[in-house]
Amino acid sequence: MSSLRKGLLEFLVLKIVGANSVYVPDILRRLAITEFATQEGTLYPLLSKLRREALVQYEWQESDVGPPRKYYRLTAAGQARLTALNDYWHRLNQTISDLGQAPCNASSL
Amino acid sequence: MQRIITVSLNRNAYQLEEMAHARLGSWLLEAAGRLRDNPDRVEILADLEQAVADQCLRRMRNDQTVITLEELEPALNEIGQVELPAEEVTATSAPAAAPASPPLQQVTEGAFVSGVCRGLAHHAGLDVTLVRVVALILLFFTGGGMVLLYLALMLLIPYAPMGTGTGKVRKLPLKSREMVTWLKMKLSAVMS
Repeated sequence: MSSLRKGLLEFLVLKIVGANSVYVPDILRRLAITEFATQEGTLYPLLSKLRREALVQYEWQESDVGPPRKYYRLTAAGQARLTALNDYWHRLNQTISDLGQAPCNASSL
Repeated sequence: MQRIITVSLNRNAYQLEEMAHARLGSWLLEAAGRLRDNPDRVEILADLEQAVADQCLRRMRNDQTVITLEELEPALNEIGQVELPAEEVTATSAPAAAPASPPLQQVTEGAFVSGVCRGLAHHAGLDVTLVRVVALILLFFTGGGMVLLYLALMLLIPYAPMGTGTGKVRKLPLKSREMVTWLKMKLSAVMS
């Protein structure tokens, strides 16, 4: 289960970053209430990988309370990847729920 | 009473008590080790340093000016040690063929002094008690020689990541791990 969760984290992070421009504590907060709760030690290496793959980019924004923060958002390639992953996820869901049904024409398979 | 050490975390100055400094040093060194092959190593380490600073400041009292282990430990727990994304782990880790014996590393969990005996036993597939008994016999016959050998091995044998072994984490192994890591950090700074 944990490797499945680990693999899905990238998808979820793309989803969160795709919804609006966020900085790391926002992402952690969004995930904290789910079973995908994660930590900076995991998130920073993942975001840097996504940036290397040109799926996300960040810009610095001044903060009232501390040093400037990195705000991440999706690139066009990231948007395309997110759409593809969303489609894949729906197909996968369909496949999984279909496999749970009794086959109607098992003899023809 | 503790000495205060000023450090730069992501290019801002922070004051730490010396034990907190040693703990943070060993934590960052372990993080750097895990990011060894990562092209964005420097940037990720800067992000993590900033996270440590933010988390510690959030935990300090208003009138507090020095970071202690009391703030640092929960901060490091919340940040969590570096975990590489799924694909990168396979790309950077050792070839698929598993080594016949575990690497020679000091294991802090269950250790009494620093984990040298435990590490040697683990590596050679021997019972740790046997290795300790041999070490004690050697200590008895060689006296200072064995102490020097142990200290040398402490410095030479790398540490296994925390959580590798099983058993109680005692105070002395943890302290000596922090001290040795701190010493290595100093040495590598002097060398470069």
